[in-house]
Amino acid sequence: MAAISYDSVAVLKNFADRQHITYSLLSDPESKIIHAFDILNETVPKGTAQYGIPYPGTFILDTQGKVIAKYFEDDYRERISASDILVRQFGKSVDVQGDVVETKHLRLATGASTPTARPGHRIVLSLEIDLKPKMHVYSPGVQGYIPIEWKLEAGTLAKLHAFEYPPSHQMRLKAINETVPVYQGHLRINREITFGPENALKPLVSSSGELILKGSLQYQACDDKKCFIPQTVPLEWRFHFEGLDRERTPADLQRKPR
Amino acid sequence: MTNVTYMRKKCWLFALSIAALYGQTVKTGPDVGQPVPDFSAQDQEGRQQTLKSIMGVKGTMLVFFRSADW
Repeated sequence: MAAISYDSVAVLKNFADRQHITYSLLSDPESKIIHAFDILNETVPKGTAQYGIPYPGTFILDTQGKVIAKYFEDDYRERISASDILVRQFGKSVDVQGDVVETKHLRLATGASTPTARPGHRIVLSLEIDLKPKMHVYSPGVQGYIPIEWKLEAGTLAKLHAFEYPPSHQMRLKAINETVPVYQGHLRINREITFGPENALKPLVSSSGELILKGSLQYQACDDKKCFIPQTVPLEWRFHFEGLDRERTPADLQRKPR
Repeated sequence: MTNVTYMRKKCWLFALSIAALYGQTVKTGPDVGQPVPDFSAQDQEGRQQTLKSIMGVKGTMLVFFRSADW
């Protein structure tokens, strides 16, 4: 892979050394490549040092140089994270483990694609549900029962993205002659969030540098004989907060308006 | 023009003028399925790189970012 910017080779070398980056950072100081890709940001006034920047984004290419996926955001402060691409594009499992919570009816395990909260980063959260033997819960769209619902209290901490619950299967309740959409056994739900900007996250960070996202799972479990009272299980996703890198290159390397 | 075509043309022109006013439509370059332009550039070690040289066995990833400095 490679990253491309309008920075000079000297600026890129300084950055790569500081951040211990081993992949190629390509220097496009005249924005020729940026222009050839048609992603030059022309809302930046000409004659400023910022003119020449691209709309930031990522292309995933096949061996023929054809685009197989691309990730661009409407807001330059938001960015899909590498961990998210690995999960959603390349099928890596969401493997940063959180807590396991157990009730009479099921076990819940929280997870995230990364242990680090960075401003503007889009990441994947997971919730694994292991239903105990004979138990089932209801999927969204069911009539007459409380379906499972995964809630997140994001507030200013994060933006929540639309997500889908996994496909359910139909269960026939012979005694009452009903067919209902249910989950049994094991299911996993993945959903994306985008962390807020730095000034929204900082006030929420604990003294130990931790950021906590609270949520809950609401469900109604039934076994083969009876239904139980609906439950709401509180859940947490914990992250280590990392602020933006504000370190600049030495003044003599910094780009001047051209 | 039928009524439907006229309304659609009006909506399209309206959307275009709003976009022009804000000038904020993000440009995102080549679409999925399209080839990207070839390129040649120096990396941080002064090595010349092209699309071919950064290509891996299964493909490659190109990340455009605004600046390593600010």
